[in-house]
Amino acid sequence: MTQAEIKLCSLLLQEHFGEIVDKIGTHLIRTGSQPLRAVVHDTGTSLDQVKKALCVLIQHNLVTYQMHKRGIVEYEAHCSRILRILRYPRYIYTAKTLYSDTGELIVEELLLNGKMTMSAVVKKVADRLTETMEDGKTMDYSEVSSTFCRLADTHFVQRCPLVPDPPESADAQPPPPAPTLSINEKDMYLVPKLNLIGKGKRRRSSDDDAAGEPRPKRAKQTAESKEPIPDDGIYWQANLDRFHQHFRDQSIVSAVANRMDQTSSEIVRTMLRMSEITTSSCAPFTQPLSSNEIFRSLPVGYNISKQVLDQYLTLLADDPLEFVGKSGDSGGGMYVINLHKALASLAMATLESIVQERFGSRCARIFRLVLRKKHLEQKQVEDFAMIPAKEAKDMLYKLLSENLISLQEIPKTPDHAPSRTFYLYTVNSLSAARMLLRRCYKSIANLIERRQFETKENKRLLEKSQRVEAILASMQATGAEEAQLQEIEEMITAPERQQLESLKRNVNKLDASEIQVDETIFVLESYTESTMKRA
Amino acid sequence: MAGNKGRGRASFTFNIEAIGFARGEKLPDVVLKPPPLYPDTDYKPVPLKAGEAEEYMLALKQEFRATMKRTPYFMDTEEEKQEIERYSKRYLKSYKEDDLEWVPDWRRLPREMMPRKKLTKAGPKHQKTKGTAKVAKVMSTVDVLKKIEDLEKKGDEEKSDEETDEKEGGKGKRKDDDDDEDDEAADEQEEYDEEEQEEENDYINSYFDNGDDFGAESDDNMDEATY
Repeated sequence: MTQAEIKLCSLLLQEHFGEIVDKIGTHLIRTGSQPLRAVVHDTGTSLDQVKKALCVLIQHNLVTYQMHKRGIVEYEAHCSRILRILRYPRYIYTAKTLYSDTGELIVEELLLNGKMTMSAVVKKVADRLTETMEDGKTMDYSEVSSTFCRLADTHFVQRCPLVPDPPESADAQPPPPAPTLSINEKDMYLVPKLNLIGKGKRRRSSDDDAAGEPRPKRAKQTAESKEPIPDDGIYWQANLDRFHQHFRDQSIVSAVANRMDQTSSEIVRTMLRMSEITTSSCAPFTQPLSSNEIFRSLPVGYNISKQVLDQYLTLLADDPLEFVGKSGDSGGGMYVINLHKALASLAMATLESIVQERFGSRCARIFRLVLRKKHLEQKQVEDFAMIPAKEAKDMLYKLLSENLISLQEIPKTPDHAPSRTFYLYTVNSLSAARMLLRRCYKSIANLIERRQFETKENKRLLEKSQRVEAILASMQATGAEEAQLQEIEEMITAPERQQLESLKRNVNKLDASEIQVDETIFVLESYTESTMKRA
Repeated sequence: MAGNKGRGRASFTFNIEAIGFARGEKLPDVVLKPPPLYPDTDYKPVPLKAGEAEEYMLALKQEFRATMKRTPYFMDTEEEKQEIERYSKRYLKSYKEDDLEWVPDWRRLPREMMPRKKLTKAGPKHQKTKGTAKVAKVMSTVDVLKKIEDLEKKGDEEKSDEETDEKEGGKGKRKDDDDDEDDEAADEQEEYDEEEQEEENDYINSYFDNGDDFGAESDDNMDEATY
């Protein structure tokens, strides 16, 4: 784990779970697998707090435990999983586009709580939806359940590994210090047969009443939770890999649409949809699909003839981008999508665009040239790029100092004399991608720190505005006159209002930047993972 | 091989033309310090993407962060208890949703995660003894003050005897505390230390005359005017 990653994980944990969890989580990332005693001793926090923090982290799938010999349980934090927290808004938004509000809320609840049982999710989502509906209408549990089933069928949510059943024999050995969780591949998306009948409940808006009100409500809630839950022990979590697969498909389709036209992108989308279930997420290319199958599976609105489809497929296969490849001639032509090549092209396009924005279009031209031609000498670079020698030299050294381009020495003589050695410029894609990835992590860490700084600077003002809003709300609830409300509003002066406005603008800008840097991180990470799996 | 053209003459070990510098040309300056912390950028960054999707995701992100703070998963460091309840805090009530403490599914977690039970067994008994010890201590100081006021001049020895009696009683209870505290968690040791330090010395509080009584006594005689 690089320093940049560790710093970013620490900031994310602190923002979402608090300081104590941050301390424990960061310590685990730094030191790897550790038993409980060691964590308590090294971090200096009390045993209770460490236990609670670990429970929270395990609940959210950020830390896993493993039992070693002699009964010692060791805990390990997963840095990459913690970094996924940045992508949560994208997951929730995707669920919204695919399964509308119900799906969105299901995924949001699962991400908020780490893991939940199906009945708990359905109940909570129905309650939330009911609140947003008009008076008198409620959300039925069955609708939410059916959306949940659809999410499970398309593998967007999956079951968590299960606790093994306790052994039957009476003289069993004492239970092990830690359960070994396991799950069968086929059971992962099996929805339990529940008979959830009910409607969402609207929460009564009596928050403004005196503190006596919440007490009886709390007592009622504890009584409710004592009912036996039908699917006890079966927990569900969001399947992040499936979402990543979806993002990858989306970016390939839009790349094809940009390069060619709408119809070809639809064809590619159909092909990807057909291979969703059959291809694992880390395969270099999809299963071969025959042209007849593709024709049959095209969406209903597209009535293009078979011949036109064949022409499109041939065009796609001949394209230098090599997204689609032809693997045989049976069944009218067997076509595959080269996932690894597609990811590589996307990552390289990102790199090129970064070079262009940072160093100018001439540098970008040189970079693209070296990328395509693999190895070039100094003189050749000048000639091919058609840039004067002095400038070309300058730009090459700038790129070299940024580690985007590297030198490859090819000696002519065994004594490696510099005057008799070829020096070739080359781009090592994997290491350049890794370097930029590390830079992305650092930028997000900087953005988060800046946002926290801005918020801290204006803390007093923010609290004041919160207070005023609370007073306004309570006064409106009890029915106050317009003049009184006006007076309260004027408690915040005009320059203060301006300050608040600019603070809000800055915070929004910083947040939006984080989300967009995360998109770049996704492209680069997919590329590096795909390359590592092939090697 | 031995190709250097004379000793002491500056020359590179490789052909300078191979990396593009003409002979005799001025080489770029040597950089002697690390790059600046906030370097100037020649090219300004491209503006952010702005669209409906981006705005929705921004709202989702901010809401998610705010919601996380209200869940029972968010462990804040406990703020020091403020003695005076600030008026401003009244309107900044933070709504903790799910007032019920979140209880994890213990079957899925290692057994060592469960909070220790034996603490609660020793707890009430220990707390009772501690409470009485504390109460005895408070009582003793109150008693002392009362007795200073009431039996001011007469019964100094009487007072000191009663003091030592109560002190011994307190010490006896303290010994019980010692036994119970062997298997206590660290955070309860602070109170214990406090107690111990206050009663560690053998000095009888009222016996030590630090001159305070002198002023009090002289005040009593203020009826007469001073010149």
